Amino acid sequence: MSEKRTGVFVCHCGNNIAATVDVKKVAETMAQEGTVAFSKDYVYMCSDPGQSSVIEAIKEHRLDSVVVSCCSPNLHEGTFRENAERAGISGFTCEIANIREQCAWVHKDRTEATEKAIKISRSAIRRVAGNKKLDPIAVPVTRRAMVIGGGIAGIQAALDMANAGLDVVLVEKLATIGGHILQLSETFPTLDCSQCILSPKMVEVSRHPKIKLLTYSEVKEVSGSVGNFEVKILKKPTFVDAETCKLCDDCAQVCPQVVSNEHDLGLTARRAIHIPFAQAIPASYTLDEEACLGLNPIRCGKCKDVCEAGAINYDMRPETITENVGAIVVATGFDLYPQEKILEYGAGNVADVLDGLQFERLCSASGPTQGHVKRPSDRTEPKEVVFIQCVGSRDPAQHCAYCSKICCMYTAKHARLYKHHVPDGKAYVFYIDIRSGGKNYEEFVQRAMEEDETVYLRGRVSKLHRTKDGKVRVMGVDTLTGQNVEIDADMVVLALAMQPSQGTADAARTLKIGRDKDGFLAEAHPKLKPVESVTGGIYLAGCAQGPKDIPETVSQASAAASKVLALLSKPTLSHAPTIATVRNSHCTGCEMCVTACPYDAIHLENGKAVVNEVLCEGCGSCSATCLRAAISVRNTSPMQVHEMIEACLSL
Amino acid sequence: MINVQDIRDTARDLLAKGEVRAVIGWRAGSRGMAAEPCVVTKPEEADSLVWDPTCYHNLALQLVNDRKDLVHSKKTATAPIGIVAKGCDARAIVVLLQEHYFKREDVYIIGVSCENSGVLDERKVKAQVGGFAPSAAAFDGDNFSVKTAKGDKKLAGREVMADRCLECRTPFPKENNTAFGDDKTGREFDAQFAALARFEANDEAARWEFWQRQFDRCIRCFACRSVCPMCFCDECVVDSIEMKIAPETTAEEKANRIRWIERSAVRSENATYHMTRALHLAGRCVDCGECERVCPVNIPLRLLNTKMEREAREAFGFDPGASIGGPSLVASFRDDDPGEFIR
Ligand SMILES: Cc1cc2nc3c(=O)[nH]c(=O)nc-3n(C[C@H](O)[C@H](O)[C@H](O)COP(=O)(O)OP(=O)(O)OC[C@H]3O[C@@H](n4cnc5c(N)ncnc54)[C@H](O)[C@@H]3O)c2cc1C
Ligand code: SF4
Ligand code: SF4
Ligand code: SF4
Ligand code: SF4
Ligand code: SF4
Repeated sequence: MSEKRTGVFVCHCGNNIAATVDVKKVAETMAQEGTVAFSKDYVYMCSDPGQSSVIEAIKEHRLDSVVVSCCSPNLHEGTFRENAERAGISGFTCEIANIREQCAWVHKDRTEATEKAIKISRSAIRRVAGNKKLDPIAVPVTRRAMVIGGGIAGIQAALDMANAGLDVVLVEKLATIGGHILQLSETFPTLDCSQCILSPKMVEVSRHPKIKLLTYSEVKEVSGSVGNFEVKILKKPTFVDAETCKLCDDCAQVCPQVVSNEHDLGLTARRAIHIPFAQAIPASYTLDEEACLGLNPIRCGKCKDVCEAGAINYDMRPETITENVGAIVVATGFDLYPQEKILEYGAGNVADVLDGLQFERLCSASGPTQGHVKRPSDRTEPKEVVFIQCVGSRDPAQHCAYCSKICCMYTAKHARLYKHHVPDGKAYVFYIDIRSGGKNYEEFVQRAMEEDETVYLRGRVSKLHRTKDGKVRVMGVDTLTGQNVEIDADMVVLALAMQPSQGTADAARTLKIGRDKDGFLAEAHPKLKPVESVTGGIYLAGCAQGPKDIPETVSQASAAASKVLALLSKPTLSHAPTIATVRNSHCTGCEMCVTACPYDAIHLENGKAVVNEVLCEGCGSCSATCLRAAISVRNTSPMQVHEMIEACLSL
Repeated sequence: MINVQDIRDTARDLLAKGEVRAVIGWRAGSRGMAAEPCVVTKPEEADSLVWDPTCYHNLALQLVNDRKDLVHSKKTATAPIGIVAKGCDARAIVVLLQEHYFKREDVYIIGVSCENSGVLDERKVKAQVGGFAPSAAAFDGDNFSVKTAKGDKKLAGREVMADRCLECRTPFPKENNTAFGDDKTGREFDAQFAALARFEANDEAARWEFWQRQFDRCIRCFACRSVCPMCFCDECVVDSIEMKIAPETTAEEKANRIRWIERSAVRSENATYHMTRALHLAGRCVDCGECERVCPVNIPLRLLNTKMEREAREAFGFDPGASIGGPSLVASFRDDDPGEFIR
C-alpha cells in the first residue's frame, strides 16, 4: 500500500461548505491516511488558482491519484479529471468526494457534518487506491440528428443544425409542422402576426436539402446511445400523395363526413379529407382515417372520384421507417390544461367561456370569424369580456403548482387585441399578480392598461354561470378595494395553465428520459445543463421542458442545436472506460443482469454475460443485481465498494 | 391417492425407450423411515423407487448436481434426465429454468402431487411417539401411520406434517411432462406465512434477541446452503477462503477476491452470512423447507426466507417458481413499482 501517493484537495466552496464543515480539520485528518501523500484545503478549488494548485501538487509531490472533496461529481468531476490529465496522470485516477450536496447542505451541526465529511473523503481515498489508469474508448458517431416535434422549437433547432451542414430528420406527429404558434393571432410583445413570422421558416424546412421531414409520424422505438441511436418511426398514411395533390379543394367539397376542426379548437368544422390550414407544410390534403366512411369506393369513394390529379390512394399503409442518428432533440411542446378539470368555471360546459387558444382563433384573420371577434353562441360582438388569469396554475391543492409564465402576457395581449377589434367594448382582467419580466414586456402590459383602458382587478373569480339573458355572470372579489365584484359578461376567456403535451409523455417513455414532478422533461442540471436531458445525446427544447414564450423557446432551440453540433463535430466520441466487465468463472448465465441493464448493454454468449462497451454507461445496476459477484464496473469493483463501506463504518 | 407402481412403470418405460438417460427419484432409505434420493439408470432398477411422506428431499438439487457433473466432466448429455418431482421440487426446477441453468428440454418431469398430504416433520413425529424413531410411514388420506418398535401408531396429519406443507398452496407440480395424483392447488391447512406471522407477533426487541441467539448457535456447517437447489453457484460470495481459480483468473483477481465476511462462526459473521443468503434467495427461494430441515442445530431458517417471500409478494406481487418466462425479482423494474419504502 505504501507506494500509493494520493493527493486530497478539500474545497471551502466559499462558505457553502466551510460554514458547516471544518474543512481544515478534514484536510488535516486526511493527511494521516496511509495512502495520502499530500493534502490541502482552498477556498475555491474550481477557480483558476485552485485548479493550478492541483496540477502543481500532482507534479511536485509525484501524486498518482487525486481525491477532491467538493461538490457533486455532476459539476466538477470533468474539471478535475482534466487537471489530472494535464498534470500527466490518468483522469480516471481522480475521484470526487461530495461533501457539499451530500453533507454541508443537508446538515446543521458542525461537528457531525465535519465527521461525515471526513468519512466521505476517506471512503473516496480508499476507493481511489483501487482505481486503475484507464483510457477512454473511442466510438464512431453517426453525424445526423433527429428532432422530434415540429413546433417553433423543433423548426428552429432543425434549421440551425441543417444550416450548419448537419443532416436532420424532423418528425412531427400531426399532418403539418408549425405547432401551436399557427393557432395564435398576433404575438406579444410586438403584435406581429404569428403566421407571418412562422410561414417563411416552415417553407424553408420543406425546401431545405439537409432536412428530411416526416409528418404524420411518431417515434415508436429507440435503441443505442449517444452518437449512435437507431430510431424506428411509424408514418401513418395520409391517403393523399403530397407530390400530386394540387390543393384544389375538390375532394373536401364532396366529402360528406363533417367533424370538428382541431386547428380551430372546435370552433369550426372540417371534412374527413382536409388540409389542416392553407399554409400547411407539407402542402397537401390529408384523409382522416377515423372520420372517413371507410376508405372504400363501395362505402363512399367520392373524393377519389372527384380528384382529377389522381392523388388519392386508399391503399396506402402505415410505414415503419428506421433512421440512424447521433443525437436527438425533443421538442414535443405543450397542451393547455383541460377546461373540463376546472369545475368552478363550468368545466367547459358554459357557452361563451373560451380558452386562450380559442380566443386567439377568434382574433385571427384566418380563424372561424375572419378576424371579427364574435362570441360563439350567437355570433354577436361581445361588448363586455372578462379575462381570468392563472386558471389551473399556481394552485397546488387542486391543479398545477407552477406558474405557466406566459399567461400574464398573453392575457394583456388578448385584452389589447379585443379592444383593437371592438373599440367600444370593455375588457376586465382578474389577476393574482402580474409577472411581466422580459424585454418590453412591462411596457406592453402598461399599454394594455393605459392606452387600451383594460380594467385590471386584483383577485380571484370564485365562480361563474350562464344567466337567463344569455350573459355569463362572473363573481369575484377585488382584493384591492375589498369589494365583491359581479360582472355580467358577454364572453369569458380563461388563461389556462400550460401542461406538457401528451406527445411529450409518450416521447419521454419511448426515449426513456426523465420527467419532473409536473411531467415536463427533466433537464440534466437546472442551471448549468438546461437543454440537456439526463441521457447523453438527447437534448430538450421548447415547452416540453417547461412553460415558455416564443423568444425563449427559440433561444432554447438554438442552444440545443449548438449542443448537438458540438457533440457531432468530430468523427468519434470518447466513451468513459468505466464500464462493466464479467468474471467468466463466476457467471452462471442467469441473465439477471441482462434484465437489469437499463441500456440493453448485456447479452449472453456461450452461457456467459458479455458487455457491449459502447452501450454500457457504467451505472452498476448489473453489478448490484448479480448474486454471484460475477460482473462489476471498472473502478467501482466490489472490493472497492467494500473498502468504501468499511471506511464509512469505521470511527 | 397415487399408486407408486405408476411412477415405477413410467420410469421403467422412459429408460427402456431411451427417452431419458436416468431418473432421479427417491428409494427406501438406510436410516430409519426416511426415503433417500437416488438416480436410477436401468429399467430393472425402476421398482426401487418409492413415494411416501418421507420423500422430504428436494430433488431439484440432484438436477443441479447432474448439471455440474456434466460441465466438469465436459460431457454432453445424450438424452434428457428424468426427475420425480413433488410441488416444491417442481417450483425449484422452474426457478432454475428461469435462471437458464439448463433448458426445459433437458429435463423430463414426472410430477407427483402431495394431494391432501405433504411430508412429515420427523421432529414432530418423534415428539408424538415418545422419542421412538419410526421405521416406516404411510398416509391414508387423513392420517399418517408410522411403524415404531412399540407397534403401529396413527397420527393426525395436521399434528406431524412439516410446517412448509401446512402452508403450501401448490402441492401439485404444475410444470410437468406427466403427473400423478389430484391437483389440489390452493388447498389450505395453515394460512400462508402463518409461522412467520406467529413469530412477528413478538416485539422488535424480542425478535432481535431471538435472532441473536440463533446466530450465536449456527456452527457454519453450510448444510443449509449445500441442500438448497437455489444455492448452485460454483463459488458462494460468502466464502472467504475458497476461491475458484480458473486458468484465466488473474493474480490481481486472486488478490482482490472478495472477503465480505470471515469464516469464523461468531455472531456477527453468522448474521452476515444468513442475511446475505436470505437476500440472495429473495424471489428465488421456493419454500421447500430443506434448509430448515437439515440444520443440525434447528435454526428456523424458514422465518428468514418466508419473510423475504412475503415482502416480495406484498410489494411486487412476485411468486417465486410460478413461471419460467418472467423476469427475476431482483432484476426487474416497473414504472409502477412501489417506492414508499425508499427514504
Ligand atoms: C393562448 C396562447 C397565446 C400565446 N401567445 C404568445 C405570444 O403572443 N407570444 C409568445 O411569445 N408566445 C405566446 N405563446 C406561447 C407559444 O405558443 C409557445 O411558446 C410556443 O408555441 C412553444 O413552441 P413549442 O415548439 O415548444 O411547442 P408546440 O407549439 O406545442 O409544438 C410542439 C409540436 O410537437 C408535436 N408533437 C408533440 N408530441 C409529439 C411526438 N411525440 N412526436 C412528434 N411530434 C410531436 C406537436 O404536434 C407540435 O407540432 C402563447 C401560448 C398560448 C397558449
Ligand atoms: S447476473 Fe451475474 S451470473 Fe447472471 S448472467 Fe449476469 S454476470 Fe452472469
Ligand atoms: S454497468 Fe451494467 S447495468 Fe449499467 S449500463 Fe453497464 S452493463 Fe448495463
Ligand atoms: S411444500 Fe407442498 S409440494 Fe412441497 S412437500 Fe410440502 S406439500 Fe408437497
Ligand atoms: S432456501 Fe431453503 S427453503 Fe428456500 S429453496 Fe433453498 S432449501 Fe428450499
Ligand atoms: S444455519 Fe444450520 S445448516 Fe446453516 S450453516 Fe448454520 S448450522 Fe449449518
